[in-house]
Amino acid sequence: MRNDISERRAETGESQADLAAAVGVTRQTINAIERERYDPSLELAFGLADHFDCRIEDLFDPTEEDR
Amino acid sequence: MSEHTTSATTRPSTRKRYKRIAYGSLGVGIAALWIGIATDRFALGVLLYWAGGLGMGLVQRFSPVALYDERDTTIERKASQNTMNVFAYVFVLGAPGGLVLEESGVVTLPGEFYGAMWTLFAVSAVFGVSVLYYKYRT
Repeated sequence: MRNDISERRAETGESQADLAAAVGVTRQTINAIERERYDPSLELAFGLADHFDCRIEDLFDPTEEDR
Repeated sequence: MSEHTTSATTRPSTRKRYKRIAYGSLGVGIAALWIGIATDRFALGVLLYWAGGLGMGLVQRFSPVALYDERDTTIERKASQNTMNVFAYVFVLGAPGGLVLEESGVVTLPGEFYGAMWTLFAVSAVFGVSVLYYKYRT
């Protein structure tokens, strides 16, 4: 699913490993989400939104294929 | 295997270390089994193999960090689905196909064929029971 996690991460100066540690997943999972190869669970999506202090729909932008 | 997931904060380097310990334990057990077979100490080899497997399980269960996350679980689930699909095709096509070929005198099936088909039947039965269990739980 399309998202702007890498841009937000760049703004905060975090590495993928930092973000992964903060939300409790592996760095590979963050990488897969950023490359739109893996859709996170609702729990992880809430965790990411909470981390970036925004709403889930601000982070993720589902395309027609995702719906 | 990957049911031990938490959303707690984890350090990747620690996770890697514990994963290495877990798989290393199993690897040592497998090596011990092969050495045991090669040196005619079969019982000792099996014992060490079980110890290695148990060690892996204990590390996975009691490690202070989550060794697997939700993506690992998703990957395992998809791989399991693919495996079941392959087995289903082999069983659904292979069992009656083999019997028809034997009945028509084209081939003489070895005993291993029936063993394999009964094994696939058992796997399918366990899968079906699991599906029913989770269907009623969720």
